[in-house]
Amino acid sequence: MICDGRKMPAVKGLLLGLGLLLTAGSALAGEPTPLVVATWGGAYEAAQRAALFAPFSEATGIPVQTVPYDGGVAALEDADGWTVVDMAIADADTACEAGLVEALDPAILAPAPDGTPAAEDFLPGAFRPCAVMHLVYATVLAYDERAFPGEKPRTVADFFDLARFPGERALRRAPVGLLEWALLSYGVPRTQVYDLLSTERGLTLAFRRLDRLRPQLRWWQAGDKPIRMLLDGEVAMASAYNGRVFAAQNAGAPLTVIWDGQLLDANVWAIPAGADRQRAEAFIRFVTRAPAMANLANHISYGPARRSAQRRIGRHVETGVPMEVHLPTAPRHLERAVVQDHRWYTRTHELRERRFRGWLEEGR
Amino acid sequence: MLTPMPTLDPSIRRILTVSLLGLTVGALASLAAIGFVEAVEALNHWLLISPYARVLSADDPMVLKLATVLVPAVGGLGVGLLVRFMIAEGRGLGPPDAILAVQTRHPPPGLPSGIGSTLAALLSLGCGASVGQYGPLVYLGTQLGALAGRLRFAIRDLPAVTMACGVAAAIATAFNAPIAGLVFAHEVILRHYSLRAFAPVTVAAATGHVFANVIFEREPLFLVAFAGVQHGHEFLLFAVQGVLCAGVATVFMKLVLTSTRSAARLPLSPVLRPALAGLILGLVGLWLPEVLGIGKETLRFATIPGAFTVAELGLIVVAKILMTALCVGFGFVGGVFSPALLIGILFGALFGLVVPGWLPLPNSGIVVYAICGMMAVTSTVIGAPLTTILIVFELTRSYDLTIAAMVAVVFSNLVAYRVFGRSLFDVQLANRGFDLSLGRDKAILGNRPVAAYLHRDYTALLPTDTVATLLRRLGEEGRAEALVVDDGHRYLGLIRLQDALNSEPDVPLGPLARDGGVVFHESTTLWQAMEQMQDFIGEAVPLLASDGRVLGVVPEGAVMGGYMETVHDLRREENAGS
Repeated sequence: MICDGRKMPAVKGLLLGLGLLLTAGSALAGEPTPLVVATWGGAYEAAQRAALFAPFSEATGIPVQTVPYDGGVAALEDADGWTVVDMAIADADTACEAGLVEALDPAILAPAPDGTPAAEDFLPGAFRPCAVMHLVYATVLAYDERAFPGEKPRTVADFFDLARFPGERALRRAPVGLLEWALLSYGVPRTQVYDLLSTERGLTLAFRRLDRLRPQLRWWQAGDKPIRMLLDGEVAMASAYNGRVFAAQNAGAPLTVIWDGQLLDANVWAIPAGADRQRAEAFIRFVTRAPAMANLANHISYGPARRSAQRRIGRHVETGVPMEVHLPTAPRHLERAVVQDHRWYTRTHELRERRFRGWLEEGR
Repeated sequence: MLTPMPTLDPSIRRILTVSLLGLTVGALASLAAIGFVEAVEALNHWLLISPYARVLSADDPMVLKLATVLVPAVGGLGVGLLVRFMIAEGRGLGPPDAILAVQTRHPPPGLPSGIGSTLAALLSLGCGASVGQYGPLVYLGTQLGALAGRLRFAIRDLPAVTMACGVAAAIATAFNAPIAGLVFAHEVILRHYSLRAFAPVTVAAATGHVFANVIFEREPLFLVAFAGVQHGHEFLLFAVQGVLCAGVATVFMKLVLTSTRSAARLPLSPVLRPALAGLILGLVGLWLPEVLGIGKETLRFATIPGAFTVAELGLIVVAKILMTALCVGFGFVGGVFSPALLIGILFGALFGLVVPGWLPLPNSGIVVYAICGMMAVTSTVIGAPLTTILIVFELTRSYDLTIAAMVAVVFSNLVAYRVFGRSLFDVQLANRGFDLSLGRDKAILGNRPVAAYLHRDYTALLPTDTVATLLRRLGEEGRAEALVVDDGHRYLGLIRLQDALNSEPDVPLGPLARDGGVVFHESTTLWQAMEQMQDFIGEAVPLLASDGRVLGVVPEGAVMGGYMETVHDLRREENAGS
């Protein structure tokens, strides 16, 4: 998940304590106990508060409180008081195997407003053993429009084509996404990318493609860096999280997303082990209804994981920009997407890191 | 046309029945094909054959190494046992059995054998044997079609049509190419294009397409991006490539046949042969993992410039040919279609890498040569030029690639036909005594025994009988010739009326009888009978048992009648309308 704001653990503890105090206080006052949502802070949490939590409180009278969560599985071992948690899909699957989150029955989910059962309405693979996918985000390639006044780059192959599209490139300094893009640039179909990357030959080809970019390549680590590099004219093209690019575009930045080869990942709702399941399920059912999910997408450019919600997306609540074209889940963007393979990522962690470090060393 | 009837017109009833059968068989064959392919993929994953599964277990290199060697070997043992105890024929079943069943109108081997063969193929492919999946799928379609053909609808040639339906749907599904499925069933299995068969087979192929594409949304075998053939002179190169591919395909097919023969001579029980092949394959796979399994990844890499060096391509082509010949010959159950695709695409890439480089001429890149090579080799091995041209068209939707592949395919087939034969299937069938090389007329006439037209009434006399007896018997029985037999009823010769006319009445027949004339045996076929009778003057040809006893005679008219009946039957089948 893209962290829209990172809090320090001390703050987290403080907030949690405060939350518990408040819980105790309100219980004494006869008010309903608040429901505690662990989520990611920043603009994303603000969007969730406006689009999901406030309407939930209004409908049920139950206040919603948030605690910061930065991803990972370890945090769930100390999740006292959390009712639900908004997680990255790979973390949720791992936590499920470790018994840190409860099993989740997709039957609790509401059907689409037109009566389509949830199973047909959610995107394929949305139902995990312990979680349900609610939004889709992407790591995309984006370019500075000022750098390409003539022909515009449109495909992943264009990113690797320094002759037609000269200029510096920026990529995240991690073996995530760049191997997939390198193979896609050879014309490999997106569905075969991980099969080919599983071979020595595939990895060699991918790194050979990156060799081409090496003299022009810059690296980023924090999510806002690529946007700054693009805006400062430091690079002409960069990989970035789609929400960040949208935020910059919304503020008037001359950036364009190359949706070809967008690397999709997803967030899920899960219930920490030992939480009040009934309340948690009621909450998840509420926030995964189509209108609620569409409402969230009108605040921030992450795609809802159900089709009926995708059809309800309108304009951005503040700027009035039509949201559909900015979402990774727009049908024409989905056609060109690579769905990040979590199992492959988990099991090849060592291999990818080793090969990536080796490749960086080679260039020294 | 029959007189009008108040009930449903019989031809309409027939069209409806056959179309519905096409739909049903198509749906079943398509589902079976999808299930089979999925099961192979799942097995490849569990058994650490697929690169994806191997990389997931990369942190345990010892397990990987053991799996590479042991999985094909142990799988081979399983295949050997399955073949031994479940398949009455004692070998895997495939396209040759389908062709034979359809052409001779005999039912294919029984259902238990079919199930056994399918399971053995599943295990072979699942354990990474270097064999193909399309052969078993063709047989699976044939088996389902044969079951439907048993239904009693009183429709002529029904089993042949339903078997073709099963084959068409299986290929349409497996390749995601309905037109190719339709043409394959006609080109390879039926060997004619009658409208009566065309309609239901089309229904079946379309059904396969619906299942593969609309319901299950399966991925096509390969997708390539190709800008087009840039230079006219390249078509000359495609033709040259076709000729070279004929050579590769011929070597491959000859090795498969040689390996099969050598395996039979090996002092090793047939149950253990696949295990030995699996062990060798696994050991080679340790060093060259590309030889394991179907090799979808390798297929894709072949179209990427720079993925292989010239030496690597040459090595993998040779290794894949050898390993496939070993696996097929030593009794793994599976086809030669997928290995031919892989061998062809690698050889094509090799050609594309080397030859245009020698010439001081521009070229359109490696993709088109890879695809041409793939199709030129495959079409020759399976004897289906039209089908492979259509596969290119349906999978790539590229007119340019299709035309290029067409040139290579046609030249490859032309040469391989001269050097080897129409296809591996046809040569395998010819080795089993069913020779299609001179067309289906000869093959079918060559498979129909002339003994079916045997007459038991003839005149037989002993050598000691006299001319007078002969004349009296012939007069009584209204014949102009008699057989001379010994007291064991063994054939000694033939005597005609004109041979006896100038002889004294008391002369014994022995010295007068002509020997060395035309005789048939129990194994004589209608085709051989026709050929022998070209020099025959007389009424009937004696038919002898292996010990020389006379079983009866076959009148000249009966041979002619049998020939005409068979040929008419074939023409009627080939020209049947609805």
